[in-house]
Amino acid sequence: MSSFAALERQLRPIYDSLDTGSNKSAVVACNKLLKKHPGNELVKALKALALVRLQKVEESLVLCDEVLASKPTDDAVLTAMMHVLRGLGRNIDTVTMFEEAFKQQPSNEELGAQTFFANVRAGHWKSAQQIATRMHKQFHEDRYLYWSVISTVLQANDTTTPSSMKNLLYKLAHRLITSGKAPSYVHTDRFHLHLSILRELELYDEARVLLDHDVGKSICAANLACDELRRDITKLQNRQKQEGEFAESKIVEKGDRNWLEFLSFLDAVFILDTEPDQSSEAFKTACLDRMEHARQVLEKVSEKDGKKDRSGPLALLELEKRARSCDIKQDDERLLTLLKSYFEQFGDKACCYEDLQPYVVLDGDDLSSWTSFLESVPSSITTTNELQRRINVHKLLRCNLTASQLTLEAETTRASLYFTEYLQTLPLGANLPNTELQPADDLAILAGCAYVNLWTISKEEKYLYIAASLLEYGLLKSNASFLMRLMLVRIYRLLGAPTLALEHYRAIQTKQVQHDTLSHFILSRASTFSLAATGDLTFATECLETSQIYLSNSQETADFVVRAFTGEKYSQIPEFITFEDHLDNSLQRDIIKMEHVRMRFTHEVVNSDIMDLELIELKFIFDRNHHDNRDFQILPDYQPRIIPNFNDQTMLFGRGEGHGWLMTLLRMYIRALQQSSDLDDTVEEKLLIGDRPKLAADSGNKAPLRDRLRERPQEDLAELTPDEVALLDFTTGLADWLGCHHDYIRPPPSVVLAEAAKQSELKTGHPLKGVEILPTPPNGSPNGHHKKDEEAPAITEPPEIVVNFFNTMKARFDEAQQSSVVDALHVATLIQEAFIFLVIETLRFKSASVIKIYKLNSLVQSFKAIKTNAVEILKDISVSLGKQSDRESTAEARKVFTESCSPIVTPEVTHEFVLNVAKKVGDARKKVLEGVGKGMTRVCSNHSQ
Amino acid sequence: MSVLRPFRATDMFKFNNVNLDVWTETYGISFYLSYLSRWPDLCCVQQAPSGRMMGYILGKAEGSGAEWHGHVTALTVAPEYRRLSLARKMMDLLEFVSDEIYRGFFVDLYVRCANYVAIDMYEKLGYSVYRRVREYYGSLGVGKGGRDEEDAFGPDMRKPLSRDPGRRSVRPNGRDIIVSAHDVP
Repeated sequence: MSSFAALERQLRPIYDSLDTGSNKSAVVACNKLLKKHPGNELVKALKALALVRLQKVEESLVLCDEVLASKPTDDAVLTAMMHVLRGLGRNIDTVTMFEEAFKQQPSNEELGAQTFFANVRAGHWKSAQQIATRMHKQFHEDRYLYWSVISTVLQANDTTTPSSMKNLLYKLAHRLITSGKAPSYVHTDRFHLHLSILRELELYDEARVLLDHDVGKSICAANLACDELRRDITKLQNRQKQEGEFAESKIVEKGDRNWLEFLSFLDAVFILDTEPDQSSEAFKTACLDRMEHARQVLEKVSEKDGKKDRSGPLALLELEKRARSCDIKQDDERLLTLLKSYFEQFGDKACCYEDLQPYVVLDGDDLSSWTSFLESVPSSITTTNELQRRINVHKLLRCNLTASQLTLEAETTRASLYFTEYLQTLPLGANLPNTELQPADDLAILAGCAYVNLWTISKEEKYLYIAASLLEYGLLKSNASFLMRLMLVRIYRLLGAPTLALEHYRAIQTKQVQHDTLSHFILSRASTFSLAATGDLTFATECLETSQIYLSNSQETADFVVRAFTGEKYSQIPEFITFEDHLDNSLQRDIIKMEHVRMRFTHEVVNSDIMDLELIELKFIFDRNHHDNRDFQILPDYQPRIIPNFNDQTMLFGRGEGHGWLMTLLRMYIRALQQSSDLDDTVEEKLLIGDRPKLAADSGNKAPLRDRLRERPQEDLAELTPDEVALLDFTTGLADWLGCHHDYIRPPPSVVLAEAAKQSELKTGHPLKGVEILPTPPNGSPNGHHKKDEEAPAITEPPEIVVNFFNTMKARFDEAQQSSVVDALHVATLIQEAFIFLVIETLRFKSASVIKIYKLNSLVQSFKAIKTNAVEILKDISVSLGKQSDRESTAEARKVFTESCSPIVTPEVTHEFVLNVAKKVGDARKKVLEGVGKGMTRVCSNHSQ
Repeated sequence: MSVLRPFRATDMFKFNNVNLDVWTETYGISFYLSYLSRWPDLCCVQQAPSGRMMGYILGKAEGSGAEWHGHVTALTVAPEYRRLSLARKMMDLLEFVSDEIYRGFFVDLYVRCANYVAIDMYEKLGYSVYRRVREYYGSLGVGKGGRDEEDAFGPDMRKPLSRDPGRRSVRPNGRDIIVSAHDVP
């Protein structure tokens, strides 16, 4: 006993060290204790944990496997091991460990729960369900029954479950939930789960019984989530009529102003009750009656609420819109009358424009009448309410502008009108603290939109200068306006001033999950602006920091799924899992990863370690089912309906990258890396630690990876710029040309594994687990090269597309340099990337012995010539980027900028102010042009030996 | 006029227009999930008919004995949707659930002293200052023109619910009672 207490005392400092992140001292303390207690599993587990945290994976693995082999049941050991295995990405082993422990102590309820949770974390819903069922039988607790029910539901919804199984599993869940002794409605979340199963199985009558029960009714009255389900089921059951009546009573009697009630109320007006179809006269007559009633109700609501609530008037508009779409028009003027009265009443609210947007899609007489109404709104502004009204007039007029009204002249007049009114009305917010937004902000934003549109019409950069300067002025007055900042981020990127874009992006302080939804603003095609080759890792670091959120997600979210189980919040569990999945398989996550890889290869030595590592990661990504969480809605959109919105107008190179872009780049990189790597699938399978990604149920039907890498779907290419397509053609040609030689020379898996085992043993002193080392084959040469029995592939001439790429693209560069800074950077960095592909693809043929053994002389000559030419061209480009950068920060360049901005230079927006913006833009452009140029020579000298 | 619906985990992908406002903090994933995994019925969203998020409230139920109550942790409305009584509607819901479901004695919340608009609004909703908490907002409370002394004293405001008909959970002289942040759970 005393020795146990002594051990306990000695363990405490180890825990302390682990808690405070002093992993090294934890290892030292563990070693000391292990001398006295060499077999102690807890100490071993803790040491393994410290080692994982020190990134000493191989050493940790050895200990980890020792502890696992002893099949621990002790709580402290299990907990420590859970963390070790999580650190190693071995969730499946955690499951096995707990299952073994629970098997040894089947009456240990806590162990049962832990085993269940381990399965939950790993997403093993089927085993989770089986354990929960067993626990329910053994410990007779109702909640274990519900655990098994929701596990079944989750299994049904899992992407790895074939769709044919789904219904069957829901039926099983239904059988389980109805087998409980207590009814589900004793608990809100159990009730929610029950309803969701009934909805899925379309057992609406059964759901009705629950919903019409007094307890069911009271749950729905106080719980929004259950009420949502109730509404859904009612709709699916075609009970719109009853739901409409219910909604009406809530609106009229209880004063409920939830818009969902109004929608239900309106749905009931246009239902097919006894009428055959929507085009029948009977339907129209019935509708007319119901519409009249609805109108009376809504008018009363509007009257009662006055300015306090917009529901009534907005529902009247919605009623009119729906009537028109059913072709039931009583009164041609009605929609306009409602619009006008809505504007009279709520025109001084900021949301008025958004409220009316769905209803102002007008044409012909309606449009001209609406327009003249808006134009007649007095333009004198003395109060903030009048200002808001004026802003709404501008927005509403603008959204309906026609092509003939969008000429250069008309748009110029409009832009300067917005700007003038902005300056005039700024004093209305002069007394607000600087943390507040200015009431006139939207006028500056409107002016910014108009100038950006002028740029789109004319392609003249000067309009972007004006937009940038006026928004900078807007920020001076309204420092907290994140909308202006986001607009500036876009504009500065278009201007080729990435550091200014980054400054504004950082000023909005994106945090946590916002990194996923907003980082596209700054990291989309960021390798264009990366100076990583010169050692400036700003953008590369931004990629890594942004990606932290994905790590937090995989470490934290599953814990809350477990908590939701313990707290029986079943309604949340599927939501949490969806959230985790959307973040884990986020499109933006992998776009960032791709950009980071592109930057990384410009500044790190290309060797087999990096290539193998990236290859494995990129292959994982390739099979993901991506979710696009990027937020583009955040940008203001005040452009007329008939032209592209601000977001589309300001995408870099006019093309937003999405799934197709990512897949294309992945195909390019994976193919090149795979050719030059010695890792084939069998080697990877043996060497890789941790769980493999789960495969979707349909993934079995997919073509082999090799073939999928050669695909080039047209819809994917549409997301690429023409220059990116050129790079794709180049890399494809290159891979096609060299592929057969790679395949011939690549050492067989057994040799690669033997080498890996040797390295691992040198490092840890233990042999590599699961790898048998075969004796060196008889035809093996001492330096690891193995000539195959089959004949070597014939050496062919390089394809035209590869030979000509650099010269063609140089011409493209000269042209791009004339058009804009970003175009020049885009083409230049793509040429550099092509060069890096050339390096990756030819690395294998570098060593003299390989060339000699495989008689590759003529092949080497061919690609050497291409490389030399590429280096010359890159050096040329570097020089011209250097010259261009010198031109950017001259007084002359600034003069062009300030003169362009003359339409907005006023006593408020002074010449000095604009000059300062000009200077910042010039400096930023100089920096990136110079840096990319210098980086190129660096890349050439690093990679050209 | 807006859709009132539960706050969902995936709303974290959609709350930018609300959270980019300087006064609204974006916390880590675990902050939102810890509320949703325990008090999902005290967390809701107001959404515009267009689908845009207008604002949200996050709350919890805590305390023991006569201190058992609903607490408003975060209440926020995007700038363009202010002055539409959205905050009041979300507070109504939170009070209703705290009363009916959790049977709490009162609802409470903390405000920054400098946030006169908010204090005014809560007073109109029936809240009164129960005590002031020193340094509750820490360095976040720096108002205009540097550190404002008043800012350091965030009022803890309360409103009794139906279970406290005697209004024992509030007091008239709350403004004069100052406690340190350590004494507040």
